[in-house]
Amino acid sequence: MSENKQARTVLREIVDSVYRRAWEAKERGEPVGWSSSKFPAEIAETLGLAVCYPENQAAAIAAKHGGQRMCEYAESMGFSNDICAYARISLAYADGAPCEEKPVPQPDFLLCCNNICNCMTKWYENIARMRGIPLIMVDIPFNNTVDVPDERVAYVRAQFEAAITKLETISGKKWDNKRFDEVCANANRSAAAWLKACAYCAVKPSPLSGFDLFNHMANIVTARCKPETAAAFEQLAAEYEQSVKSGESTWHYDENYRIMFEGIPCWPVLGSLFKPLKDSGANTTAVVYAPAFGFVYNGIDEMARAYCKAPNSVCIEAGVAWREDLCRENGVDGILVHYNRSCKPWSGYMFEMERRWRERLGVPVVGFDGDQADPRNFSEAQYQTRVEGLVELMAAANAANSAQ
Amino acid sequence: MFVLGTDIGSTTSKCVIIDETGEIKGKGLAPGGAGSDGPYKALDMALAEARIAQKSLSRTISTGYGRNLVDKKDGTLSELVCHALGAHALFPDTRTVIDIGGQDAKILRVGEKGRLESFVMNDKCAAGTGRFLENISRALNVRIEDMTAFAELAENKIDISSTCAVFAESEIVSQLAHGANKNDVFSAVFRSVASRAASLANRIGVMRDTVMTGGVAKNEGVRKALEEELNVRIYVSPLAQYAGALGAAVYALEPLTNDRGKIQ
Amino acid sequence: MNEITELLSEMSDIAQNPDMRLAACLAEGRKAVGVFPYYVPEEIAYAAGFVPFGIWGMQGSVREAGRYFPAFYCTVARMGLELALSGKIDKLSAVIMPSVCDTLRPFSQNFKSARPDIPMVFLAHPQNRKEDFGIAYTVCEYRRVKAELEGIAGVKITDESLADAICVYNENRAARREFVRLAGLYPSTVSALRRAEVLKSAYFMDKSEHTRLLLRINAALCALPHDPQPGVKVVTSGIIADNANLLDIFDRYGITVAADDVAHESRSFRVDTPIKSGDPLTALARQFSEQSDDPLLYEPDLDRRGRRLVDLVLNCGARGVIFIMMQFCDPEELDYPNIKKTLDRASVPSVMIGYDQQMRDFGQAGTSLEAFSDMLRTRLQ
Repeated sequence: MSENKQARTVLREIVDSVYRRAWEAKERGEPVGWSSSKFPAEIAETLGLAVCYPENQAAAIAAKHGGQRMCEYAESMGFSNDICAYARISLAYADGAPCEEKPVPQPDFLLCCNNICNCMTKWYENIARMRGIPLIMVDIPFNNTVDVPDERVAYVRAQFEAAITKLETISGKKWDNKRFDEVCANANRSAAAWLKACAYCAVKPSPLSGFDLFNHMANIVTARCKPETAAAFEQLAAEYEQSVKSGESTWHYDENYRIMFEGIPCWPVLGSLFKPLKDSGANTTAVVYAPAFGFVYNGIDEMARAYCKAPNSVCIEAGVAWREDLCRENGVDGILVHYNRSCKPWSGYMFEMERRWRERLGVPVVGFDGDQADPRNFSEAQYQTRVEGLVELMAAANAANSAQ
Repeated sequence: MFVLGTDIGSTTSKCVIIDETGEIKGKGLAPGGAGSDGPYKALDMALAEARIAQKSLSRTISTGYGRNLVDKKDGTLSELVCHALGAHALFPDTRTVIDIGGQDAKILRVGEKGRLESFVMNDKCAAGTGRFLENISRALNVRIEDMTAFAELAENKIDISSTCAVFAESEIVSQLAHGANKNDVFSAVFRSVASRAASLANRIGVMRDTVMTGGVAKNEGVRKALEEELNVRIYVSPLAQYAGALGAAVYALEPLTNDRGKIQ
Repeated sequence: MNEITELLSEMSDIAQNPDMRLAACLAEGRKAVGVFPYYVPEEIAYAAGFVPFGIWGMQGSVREAGRYFPAFYCTVARMGLELALSGKIDKLSAVIMPSVCDTLRPFSQNFKSARPDIPMVFLAHPQNRKEDFGIAYTVCEYRRVKAELEGIAGVKITDESLADAICVYNENRAARREFVRLAGLYPSTVSALRRAEVLKSAYFMDKSEHTRLLLRINAALCALPHDPQPGVKVVTSGIIADNANLLDIFDRYGITVAADDVAHESRSFRVDTPIKSGDPLTALARQFSEQSDDPLLYEPDLDRRGRRLVDLVLNCGARGVIFIMMQFCDPEELDYPNIKKTLDRASVPSVMIGYDQQMRDFGQAGTSLEAFSDMLRTRLQ
């Protein structure tokens, strides 16, 4: 039966099962963790701990239009509306705000890693305090150079070891190196398959709508250590291969233009984001999540080094290079940048990145204001105008190219 | 014995005279704040209503933006402290005062004797204040009173989601352009203001009784929306505009009825 | 009395004219490095012979920096970049750039993009700073900072010179702490604005010189009789509180800053460097490991900051706390609800004023602070 299921269905079911297992663990009285998206999932998985992912939960709540309500709840708790909307949603949920969009079990321990942002640190401190539970902090300092210095890797590795010791106590289980190797092998296999699937964006026309990758990202965040995830991504890649042969695509519109969508999508208004793109035939064929989560490593030191590289922890040179490679490999005609009110570390050097892309790639770049989860920070009118502008610029560039 | 409280704003002046029991004997409201003849007109109105001469006033306390510019006063007291005392005088069980004015929104926590215990004010954003309503009214060329009348006829609940006043304006215009019913849109505008104020109020916690003062208190649409948001009954006095002056008067009376020191 | 007035006005002058101070310092043949917030071990730069200049933005409007930062970033970073883009820091030999918050991360990248001609010594502090591995990592970072500064200065920093620098800084920190205490006792002599200026002047001076002036002020203050108008004592909390219009409101309504929890002020000189622990870089790393009670730092003891703030209020005899909330500072914003709740539970009244360095209209801040001052006074009756 499962043979017939499409990969995207399988992928969705895997994410559902992550949360289902967390509920089951809770019912059995086992501790359930909440983890930041780029905390080394390998550690909890090796110890067999059930873990939920608040960022993923917040995105799901926002996509189901609960974002504003949850944000307002957090604001009533005293949190400023300038704080990351994922954090606000999560803090509201941890405080017991009613939420039918995506209930997850309340946490018994927290896994915090600030490679993606420092907002994480205070957000998780608040939850640890509200619920009186242990917080395990893995601190990954920002990198100003492309290479990660060895002493930073040593610092991160030492924290992994400290985290393992604490989690052994929480789980009541002993660390097993053999199990860890298996888990890492799964994570690596998932990452490789994820990269392989993402690489199909390079085909012209693309067998997929790049927005699909935003949905599948849930798997690489919540379930990358599971063999089912690896298998499902491999299946996804195979399906794309098949689509290329048969000339099909999950992008059901013209592919007049190929763009990179920079940043996290505005989950509450996905339809609004999508509309002007499909109307003008602009398919998203590059998203930075592919390289951001598709890392493959060998051994714990390399793993420490790999976790030092998150979208918001790398220097501008590395950040530009990631996108440049993506845009070149995937034949991008233009770039749409989301200035995300929720994400200071991400949006803070985008103006300079824009300039570098324009110069090096020679493609038009247009930005818009929005938010990953708070619909109040998005203006549909502004977005439409900006996309129209981008499309006009891409059309003019195409016309100039064909005239030559 | 009579005491006077004056509330000299930037655009209006208010005066309240009370007797030793705290009963209001005279009140006056006149356009024109500090530097105009507003304060004198308001005072004359209050004296006339109380049927007393100015020399019968035992003590005067001033509050409001222009309080330091009025002469013949025995002291001044800040607006928020006066509003708390005034709201308490109007509704003795007041614990929370929601004061939404043209420029800012304030939530006051009031103690048993009308003492200001804590307060919170809006951030720099105009959404959630009277200014937001004025902007919308100007953009759509509809008077605020008419917006209230239309909103009463609303049938569907739609949302103005933008936090930013600029975004919200464009959202409203585009909703109307896309054929949304204007009754529904105006109702949503009031709910949007109420929701910002409610969020502010929840930050210090809403305790009963809850009283609304300030210019927006007269707006039924916002008040009702706020009641729904906060799930409490909100009292509004017809004398809401005099709350500051009344509080100043109450404060003026205090040292005359007990041993408390005065504030200069 | 005259001596104090003169000294205060001298320091006020320094605080208001960092450009002139920098020019004077260069004219004396010294070199200067810029130091961005937070927790830079300035001692290393000092030992290399530099005069460290603190760069905490400035008051004014963001213009050029708008090419790098969207509007939703704190002005300490945006105005810091504005200074860099408007030619105000051209004469610095280098800048030291920490990265402890989500705004400083992109700031570092924007800075090096905007001013590739000014060497940027990057510094990534650890958040897990208390454990041995955290201290070891801090030492590595500091060693790299030291090597880079040595290269820029063309001198070798010896252990002795570093130990001497640590002494200079410890003495200055002690003098600033004592000044904060005394300023809270003599508000009629040291207004809120003067207090802030004296503390701010340290950012634009050789610290030994600052200490010398400060010790004279402190001695003169100690000799004063009790202040007949002690005002309503409060503790301020936030990132920076040096705006003259804002501090005038404090003075206008008789609000005395008895102690502070401000990053630009006491948070930066609360902790001394333990000199006895041999290697001076390790001593500096230990000093950083001791830093706490700051939303910019990870705090494993979850209730500590609130508890310590209440203690601070009680110990200095303050009656309330004024939060000067830097717009868009998410660590401050994320910590605030719990800190507020902790103060409420301890019956310590507090008020929050939104602030950024572009602010010109302090009307609402005035309304709030006046009410707060009256509230604290009437509360006592």
